Amino acid sequence: MYDPNNIIQLIASNLRKTGNPFGASNSVINSWWKTVPLRRQGDAMLFTGLMYQSIPYIEMTTEWLARYEDTTLASYFRYGKLTPSFLVSLGFRLLVPQIQKRRFNAILNSVYQVLTNSNTDFCYRPELDFYSGILLHDLGDSEGFARHAAFVAKTLKANGIRKLITVDPHTTYAMKVLYPRVTGESFEVRTWFECVAPSGKSCAGRVTLHDPCFYGRYLGLSDLPYKILDDLGVECVRIRNSGEFTNCCGGPAESVSPKLNREVLDRRVEELNSANAPVLAMCPICLGNLLRAGIPAEDFSTFVERYV
Amino acid sequence: MKMDLIDPEFPKTLERFGAGSAFECFNCGSCVAVCPLVSGHFPRKMIRYAQLGATEKILRDAKDLWKCLHCGLCSRTCPRGADPGELILSLRRFTLDHWKRWPNV
Repeated sequence: MYDPNNIIQLIASNLRKTGNPFGASNSVINSWWKTVPLRRQGDAMLFTGLMYQSIPYIEMTTEWLARYEDTTLASYFRYGKLTPSFLVSLGFRLLVPQIQKRRFNAILNSVYQVLTNSNTDFCYRPELDFYSGILLHDLGDSEGFARHAAFVAKTLKANGIRKLITVDPHTTYAMKVLYPRVTGESFEVRTWFECVAPSGKSCAGRVTLHDPCFYGRYLGLSDLPYKILDDLGVECVRIRNSGEFTNCCGGPAESVSPKLNREVLDRRVEELNSANAPVLAMCPICLGNLLRAGIPAEDFSTFVERYV
Repeated sequence: MKMDLIDPEFPKTLERFGAGSAFECFNCGSCVAVCPLVSGHFPRKMIRYAQLGATEKILRDAKDLWKCLHCGLCSRTCPRGADPGELILSLRRFTLDHWKRWPNV
């Protein structure tokens, strides 16, 4: 296990420098929107919180962390904060596989398409799409989180943004629950799947859902995905720990202990395999984790896009 | 025998870091039973230390606090509504504050 203090300091330093936990510029990470017609005007802003786009970078970082966990070299990670951000950006540009970037960017394209097909009045402004800071909150750096959240909330409000459509459970929780508490600024927050309009199309598929902890327990949103699947005529195999009582995939541990992450992940994979059905995930961290474990999981949005 | 000092005012200290209902806990161990970590007596042991004000023990085992996945299953199933997940988060904040004030302790 890494020293949490070193990891927190590194993440906090990156967040101060570049606005995201990796230390690469947001424009390097956020490029998914370049392949869709950009809508700059709309009632609610699509707010990705840079989570799906970050997964290829998280995967690469986790791979490095896993390699040196519990070795004498582990303590040198604290010096990562001294690396200039242009070097980090360059490193990420060169080292993160294009195929991984395309895979996770495609998920955001699917969300965009589902919202469009559901006649949702929305816009996307890449320069206002920020990382929420949720990792700092989860790691216990409440001051660092509050500072970042204040900047994000103030910038969004100054640009007239009042309504957000989110795509992942962690950003949703941050914007819906934590921001009003920490910054005093409230936004009307909906997830993309709360905007899905029935299309009348149906399919005879069979899947199982890996419910994210934050939708299930922190946000009370785990029933809706099952209803959407039911409306589509898809059979959803419920596993033992699902919905409000879902089990974690171990993702939150990957920044301090990839080894622990893997132990928890293996137990969850066993549960998901018991369904004997294709797995749908609804959180970028879960999806990245399940793919790493060899489960050919698909994001819920790409599945829904085919029928909406 | 190694003795540890306890801080009877610790519940008040911890309130500053966000723990509200943690002291409702009666140590039944439901949180340990459901925790996906399946790791010893986590998080019950930490909750007990917090209740006793055993801050030295908390700081000695502090790394364990960051094993918590913040998944919320313990808080959802706690029969006393003690919110163990939030307590662990509060202990992380308390520990970080301690590390900032006394980096070498």
